[in-house]
Amino acid sequence: MDQPLLGMKVVEVAGGSPAAYCTHLLAGYGAEVVRAEGHGSPGWTLSDDESTYLLPGKRRILLGADPAGELARLVGVADVVVLDGTPGRFDVAAWRQANPALVAVTIAPFGQTGPDRQQPADDLIAFAAGGTMSLTGDPASTPLVTGGSQAMYFAGLHAFSALLAGYYGTVVHGEGDWIDLSLQECLAGALELYGPAAAHGEPAALRFGNYHRAVWAVYPCADGYAGVFCLERQVPALFALIGDPVLQEERFRDPLQRPAHDEELSAYVLSFMVDRTGDELIRLGAEHRIPFGKVRTPAELIAGPALHERGFFDLVTTADGHLVHVPGRPFVAFDWSGGGTVTEAEPATAAAVAERWESR
Amino acid sequence: MKPLPFEGLRVADLSMMWAGPFATKLLGEQGAEVLKIESPSAWDNIRTLIPQPGKSDPWNSSYYFNTYNRAKQSVTLDLAQARGRQVFLELLAHCDVLVENYRADVLDKLDLGYEVLQAANPQLVIVSMAGFGKTGPDRGLVGFGPVIEQMSGLTSLTGYDGEDVPYKCGVSYGDPVAGVAAAGAVVLGLLQRRRTGTGMVVDLAQREVAATLAGSAFVAAARDPEVVHHGNRHPQGTAAPRGCYRCADEARPDRTAGYNLLPARPFDEQWIAVSVLDDTMWSALAGLLERPEWSALSLTERLARHDELDDAIATWCAPLDATEAVAVLRDHGIASSRVLDTVAIHDDPHLRSRGFWVELEHPRMPADWKQPGVAWRSVQSGRRLDRPAPLFGEHTRSVLRTLLGYDETQLEELHAAAVIGDEPINPGVG
Repeated sequence: MDQPLLGMKVVEVAGGSPAAYCTHLLAGYGAEVVRAEGHGSPGWTLSDDESTYLLPGKRRILLGADPAGELARLVGVADVVVLDGTPGRFDVAAWRQANPALVAVTIAPFGQTGPDRQQPADDLIAFAAGGTMSLTGDPASTPLVTGGSQAMYFAGLHAFSALLAGYYGTVVHGEGDWIDLSLQECLAGALELYGPAAAHGEPAALRFGNYHRAVWAVYPCADGYAGVFCLERQVPALFALIGDPVLQEERFRDPLQRPAHDEELSAYVLSFMVDRTGDELIRLGAEHRIPFGKVRTPAELIAGPALHERGFFDLVTTADGHLVHVPGRPFVAFDWSGGGTVTEAEPATAAAVAERWESR
Repeated sequence: MKPLPFEGLRVADLSMMWAGPFATKLLGEQGAEVLKIESPSAWDNIRTLIPQPGKSDPWNSSYYFNTYNRAKQSVTLDLAQARGRQVFLELLAHCDVLVENYRADVLDKLDLGYEVLQAANPQLVIVSMAGFGKTGPDRGLVGFGPVIEQMSGLTSLTGYDGEDVPYKCGVSYGDPVAGVAAAGAVVLGLLQRRRTGTGMVVDLAQREVAATLAGSAFVAAARDPEVVHHGNRHPQGTAAPRGCYRCADEARPDRTAGYNLLPARPFDEQWIAVSVLDDTMWSALAGLLERPEWSALSLTERLARHDELDDAIATWCAPLDATEAVAVLRDHGIASSRVLDTVAIHDDPHLRSRGFWVELEHPRMPADWKQPGVAWRSVQSGRRLDRPAPLFGEHTRSVLRTLLGYDETQLEELHAAAVIGDEPINPGVG
């Protein structure tokens, strides 16, 4: 197998989706991931569907009578340990001291330090604290959390890449690291232009709903919802495609005059979008270099050919025995071992795993 | 001091907009020497998307560009010219990594296909970040972050409770997602290079990375292809009540930097998020709401009466300052936060305490201009964020001199032919 992480020994201290998603990616690229359960320190947990998606390919072990000691022994011979939830439940500093080459990644709602570090939080709370929620949702309604627990998963993705950076540093420079990831900071560092604008003295941006301006918005289309997201260089092609001569008038063509006529322009764009299916818009977008997109559901993506042709999907087995398609490798280059079945947690196997790892 | 992980690595960066630059920013923050390469005639559009009023060189003074392009050097090269491509390939021979986020066909059209790049440097790790990948039926689609979010399934998952309308994320979410993943892809490539001794090409489709963040929704789709929106309520019903509630408005008069990008308002609405994670939190909240008869409601009962409980929380919050409301809730052990807006987040005491906002001296930006700090905090080695975003072409001459040994005559020839430049040609808005 051509897998870059073959030989990497990873302990996932059982918790929620940030750690589980991070180690899911590591396992797919060849790392041996042991998920240590039964440690007696409750934190975040996985839903059944998340378990189906994130646990195949990992070995689950149930810690025994001395969970802290067993965990310390495992981590003592691991390359990487990943844990999530509020800080202070495990002695990460001691783990690092005992195993200086260890890369520890802790993923907490507010990080390991600061006055809010022990505040309880789930995806909603972290999303609110990270700033993105203030920008999301209909301006006439409440701020809205995005679906799919994105504060959690975005932090898990950060953990994957940060951990790899730390591991690479260990390989090259010989010393491990402890990386402190905060869900709030992961989001606060990705506020597009709106965060930097406020830092530069601009007003707070109010949530936009699906409409920033006529050429950067989501509209109803003939079979659902579709978006058009044009930079200035793509606006002439959009106007040409819509085809109404009025759009050649200076008030629409001139980007400085256009904002004053945005509402009128949006009516032209809407009338174009609403008569066409998402597939038709995407085809036209490819032909005319216009960024159209269709709001696809997971079921539509599974049913469509594009992701299958790229060999993207894994097959996993649900708890009731059904095979289902789930997203697979995030990028193409290396062998990926994804999919499969969630195994039962094995009791009293931590010592055996540690012995095997010690002997390597 | 402990070295940063990527010290000693050199990255050629052909990326533009937000996704690719987000990736190379992360690499730069971790010690890599990132050479951001732009053409004098086709520069990173972000530079001039929101020009700072009154600046004679708006391409150097964009808060948008300067936030996401720190820890990099700026090199200009016109890749549309044969001489520019030749210099670029010479530079690649001195690089470990190339990151690009062009549309799938662009490198080939520039006569810089993978074979050409790998011939210039067989050790090179190439990470291509086309929106829909380098192969497959969608490879020719044009896509920015919101398009990626829509086409990945993510947008379909967001919406108000009981309503069908999907909502996009408030930021171009597909971009930072792809950027963070690309940084990981670079490391995988470097690790593989250590094993094999040769470089490689990583094909990162931004849509696919985004879809991996919605994996459990694909499991759910096998049971029911229809997506059901839950708004701010818990999708599995394991926490209730859970929602977003409006507090008293906050006065913020006279706040504008003159861009006219966003409407100035005398007051900003303020909201808090509350999530009752267990019975203990609920009992405490029932007490705050002065409804002791509710304190023993089970989760099942709370879910059944969610609307009623939302109304009571909303009534309690409405007259309160958002910060004070959260302080009271947290004093009672209830999971909560202000919905921090883009102004309030810069004053958040917790983020300030962690030193999250940093001020990097930049010749075109105000001295007190704050940027987000490094998200990947090394607890033990400490941060060394000390390189602001570069001015356009700031490092062209020094890089070509140092790495390629060019002399002044050669540099002037390149400049005269507009292969390199000190400012964009025909800069406009957008």
